[in-house]
Amino acid sequence: MTEFSTKKVTAKLFLLLVFSDVLETVTHVCFKKSVSAEMAFTFSNAGAFFSFLHGVMLSPFLWLGLASVLITFIIWTLILSRIDLSVAVPIASFSYILIPVVSVIFLHERISLIRWLGIACILSGVILVSMSSGSKERIPGE
Amino acid sequence: MKALYITIGLIFLTSLCDTINQLFLKSSINAISFNVYKPGEIVKFILKIILTPRVWLGFLFTVASLCIWLVVLSRADLNLAFSVDSMHYILIAVASMIFLKEKISLLRWIGISVIVFGIILVTVS
Repeated sequence: MTEFSTKKVTAKLFLLLVFSDVLETVTHVCFKKSVSAEMAFTFSNAGAFFSFLHGVMLSPFLWLGLASVLITFIIWTLILSRIDLSVAVPIASFSYILIPVVSVIFLHERISLIRWLGIACILSGVILVSMSSGSKERIPGE
Repeated sequence: MKALYITIGLIFLTSLCDTINQLFLKSSINAISFNVYKPGEIVKFILKIILTPRVWLGFLFTVASLCIWLVVLSRADLNLAFSVDSMHYILIAVASMIFLKEKISLLRWIGISVIVFGIILVTVS
């Protein structure tokens, strides 16, 4: 079996990861908008479940979300062809930083100290995981 | 309180489904050698991936995860959902180690743990 080692996380890969992350956030917002509060799901019976699904499927946000899922899939596949799963997934947590920072710059929201601490933790975690990528093993085709 | 436990259980289930999907996808990608980064080759590669049955099996898990996730979102707010979902990172790391034979160094474990802790801080605050 070919040993599949992975490359170091380059700036290009990192940007691609961030982009797929942003798209994933778009997906989540779309999905959240596709379920309105008044259709809160209850565990009563199967019929309630199907009428819930039916309501969700009529929302344009669901379909917008699904389109974004497709694009994310393609980008994600390209990323995974390059780096370990246990590197790609943690680095994708970068969106937890992106959203608060964007809301500070563009929406002038205030961020609590605890949240800044959390952001610092995620950032250091992402740096640590990135540093752990890129093995000394041979890369096939190189 | 019981409803909260059900919600947390459901969030765990979506994480599990996502992890299974990622494992199927990554193992399929590993099986295909892909190193040339030209538009034509990329399209060929994506097509190869899409034609892999295991990827579709993974896709079914994503659909299941999506359905459960929609149920979760209709019951819980995004903050709780995301903070509980952070255990996903641990799940991915353990699964990558066991099933994909990825070598996870101490540095990577520390990084992952710090990220999970950070996510909990960000989502709870």
